[in-house]
Amino acid sequence: MNTKQNLEKAEWLLANWNKETTYPEADRLDVLVTAEDLRSAVTTLHDAKWGYLSAITGLDLGVESGQLEALYHFCNGPAITTLKVHLPRVGDASLPTIEDIIPSATFFEREMSETVGFQITGAKSMDRLFISDDWPEGVYPLRADFKIEQAAPVEGRYVDEIPEEGVVRGNTFVVPIGPQHPALKEPGHFEFTVDGEVVTAARMRLGYAHRGIEKAAESRNWIQNLYLFERVCGICSHVHTMAYAAGVEKLAQVEVPMRAQAIRQIVAGLERIHSHLLWLGVAAHEAGFDTLFMYSWRDRETVMNLLEQITGNRVNYSANVLGGVKCDIGLEQAKVIKEGLDFLEVRIRHYLEVVTTDAMFLNRTRGVGTITRVEAERFGLLGPTARASGLVRDVRVEAPYGAYTRFPISAVTATNGDLEARCEVRLNELLVSCFAIRTLIDNLPEGPLTVKMPRKIPAGETISRVEAPRGELFYYIKSGGGENPLRIHVRTPSLCNWVSVLEKAVGRQLADVPMLIAGMDPCFSCNDRVVTVKHSNDQKTWSWKQLREYGIEYYKR
Amino acid sequence: MNTFTSFVSILIFPAGLTLVFTGMFYEWIDRKLVARFQNRVGPRWFQPFADMVKLFAKEQITPGLANPFLFFGLPVVAIAGALTSALYVPLMGLNPVHSFPGDLIVAIYLLSLLTMCIGLAGWNTSGRFSLVGATRALTQMFAYEAPFLLALLGPALAAGSWQISEVNRFAQTHWIIITQPVGFIVALIGLMGKLELPPFDSPEAETEIVAGALTEYSGRGLAIFKIGKSIELIVGITLVSAFYLGGLNGVLPFLLKTIVVLLLMTVLQTLLTRLRIDQTVGLWWRFGTILVLAQIMLIVFLRSYPL
Amino acid sequence: MKFGTMLKDIVESFFKKTATQMYPEEKIAPPERYRGELMYDPKACTGCCLCTKDCPSKAIELVILDRAAKRFVLKYHRDRCVYCGQCVVNCKFKCMGMSNKDWEHAVLKKDFTVYFGKDEDVAQFLASLAPTPAESTNG
Repeated sequence: MNTKQNLEKAEWLLANWNKETTYPEADRLDVLVTAEDLRSAVTTLHDAKWGYLSAITGLDLGVESGQLEALYHFCNGPAITTLKVHLPRVGDASLPTIEDIIPSATFFEREMSETVGFQITGAKSMDRLFISDDWPEGVYPLRADFKIEQAAPVEGRYVDEIPEEGVVRGNTFVVPIGPQHPALKEPGHFEFTVDGEVVTAARMRLGYAHRGIEKAAESRNWIQNLYLFERVCGICSHVHTMAYAAGVEKLAQVEVPMRAQAIRQIVAGLERIHSHLLWLGVAAHEAGFDTLFMYSWRDRETVMNLLEQITGNRVNYSANVLGGVKCDIGLEQAKVIKEGLDFLEVRIRHYLEVVTTDAMFLNRTRGVGTITRVEAERFGLLGPTARASGLVRDVRVEAPYGAYTRFPISAVTATNGDLEARCEVRLNELLVSCFAIRTLIDNLPEGPLTVKMPRKIPAGETISRVEAPRGELFYYIKSGGGENPLRIHVRTPSLCNWVSVLEKAVGRQLADVPMLIAGMDPCFSCNDRVVTVKHSNDQKTWSWKQLREYGIEYYKR
Repeated sequence: MNTFTSFVSILIFPAGLTLVFTGMFYEWIDRKLVARFQNRVGPRWFQPFADMVKLFAKEQITPGLANPFLFFGLPVVAIAGALTSALYVPLMGLNPVHSFPGDLIVAIYLLSLLTMCIGLAGWNTSGRFSLVGATRALTQMFAYEAPFLLALLGPALAAGSWQISEVNRFAQTHWIIITQPVGFIVALIGLMGKLELPPFDSPEAETEIVAGALTEYSGRGLAIFKIGKSIELIVGITLVSAFYLGGLNGVLPFLLKTIVVLLLMTVLQTLLTRLRIDQTVGLWWRFGTILVLAQIMLIVFLRSYPL
Repeated sequence: MKFGTMLKDIVESFFKKTATQMYPEEKIAPPERYRGELMYDPKACTGCCLCTKDCPSKAIELVILDRAAKRFVLKYHRDRCVYCGQCVVNCKFKCMGMSNKDWEHAVLKKDFTVYFGKDEDVAQFLASLAPTPAESTNG
């Protein structure tokens, strides 16, 4: 069925609860529900398997309107249904939790509640996720009347669950990984309760690289924000600008020339190569295979040099402007790109062979962290992590945007769902990318590079989804008609994928944990803008003597 | 020998200071080779010396929960063990400084004293990473001591003696690697496990437990442990090359043969992924020991019933 | 299942040149499109200030000494610039560009602010700044 029929089906499913239905764009449906009906509406959509929960946005509609708005976005291919709930700004703004229906909602709800100020009732844990522990209570940064003076840190406030420095706390032995740890390339805090070498519980805290970008966006104009959002992340910077620019161009109802879209896709493809080679090195380093790490990062230099020759910078390329691209790809650049791609393809095939046949590396990756297709759907996973379990979640295939409508890409999947499958999926995606870039260069459409954009973007709201190397990137952009945006909400793919680490770490050895973290390709910078504790049932008190005896006993088995 | 010669040979040449410097030199060769295999430049020749100088100059921070007597004493005991075990091996291809029947066992025991001290140091500092690292170090020690010792026992049985200098002399006329290839492989891998080199570096896995048992050590203590480890490297390589590669009877054969063994170890280091602790133990305790036991059975059989 | 799949790489690398760039003895020149420091040509400037409006980090300021006589001084904060190139895109008269020669930006002294313009304009502007000690701590 096409998008329109899809949306009509969603409207029909929600007929009992909708107070008001609007179609703001051809592929979007907005349904207003009350807070009491929220759970029933979500359950209906979930049971009918109408798409997946992609993001939950919270915003403040302004002091005059006196209302807060919570948006629950469900995506099914290119069709998006948004459930809207309005709650008063002052007074009781409580929403029921939906984390028992959809587990991945817990991170979204906590982010929304601590930044906008909803109370989520019924949630298992309402610890701070992104905002730091000494932020004052009751002060919500994304509210319209937030003043910077309100943000004075509160002395001596810490989350009281963090164990004291020492060996054994109660019945558990906790190994902390982070915020500073050689395994982590960016700060994040994980606590693994171990039993000898086996992990029995996992817990995490994010927010160490939180920079308040969404709030900062509200005081900059549309063009300045392009560069602000580029710096959310270093290795997916181009797709952030693509999503942002695509959203703003949709709001301004401006058609970007096809040549610019194609160049955007070429740079995105090169960025994907860059990101996946980096990931391969990091995963190999976590496994202890330093040789593969060194070689894949050496080859990454080739793609970074290519990007520098096209766009002018190795990281944070700034290739996009609102309305098109800045840099052209002429014959000379095309030749250089093709030579680089030839070299890279040979190397990528070699790495594919290494990753799938090297016996020692397979020892660490085969059968580790297996996620079945059903589990992947339940957790709400995205990106290559989901595709390795056989679940095709790829925005480029389901909801093609930009040049993907003319130059489609095939999605790469695997069936096993373990770390080996994730390695395979990512490396195969690189080969697909190389092929796609070559096709694009050979068939680059003629035309201008940019188109004129107004400085004041017309009022409205839009949703822009693109496929980052890690999964689906979701931008919700709301304009009030002025030079500055009213609200921009970014939901990065890494936030959805954390659940896989926490659930799968339990029962595995401590040594597998860095591999599991690396396997979902986390980008802490992207998602810092979460804690679950999962216990298995057997925890004993260990004294050091018992621990040592256990170690001695262990080898005898 | 008179007191002066003993003094010089124990403290300056070939054991003692020379040994320390040779240990650092071999550590440099190892790092440089690994770097070259990974298409990198690698450190310059004085890097390990510079590291030691820097570490000695740094402040030593004692963790609050550690017993200070043990904290300061364990590095000293560890390096004493390593230095003493070096007295019985043919360093630099010259005769061992001291020699008595049965010194093979003593030398190996003193080497494992180093590992035990590292394990104890990890337990003593009682940080979370040190404990996990200490457990792994001790577990790995149990897994690798036995095959390594048995692999060295093969040549000893062939030579008919448990004295290292005797075996060395015997090996100069018989190249034991040809008659006992399995033993050589087991000895090499056992040595890598003992030294905690990749792929058996689970006790000091940088990406999992920061630095393993030595996480809380800094300054002098860490420098002493590191020197102890490089001495262990030299002693281990000397034993393996003396026993299997045709004995060491001069400085030049010493250098050549030990560097060949180091080269083999470096190639294995760069080629293989780190194994988890359960995999290292499981793999080697089963296969390694069975192989070498079979080898020894064969030797005993052949000696008792010569063909 | 194979052992040592990277053996060929390892052995080859031993005999090949290393991949390391031996900086500072060996400096590789950046490509043509590299976005280095800002360059400003005062002759073409008309003082429209479009470049300063869209700078994401407020790194450039245009000081207008005399609009009719086209005397401008561009104050450029090198430490705030993110090298995005938006100012270059915005300028309709092609007076801005990004250098691709100058890429070693680490300095020992903290004099980050650069003044562009015709020499006499810059001199006049700096002279107007000098007497006030509070202002000279700017940038």
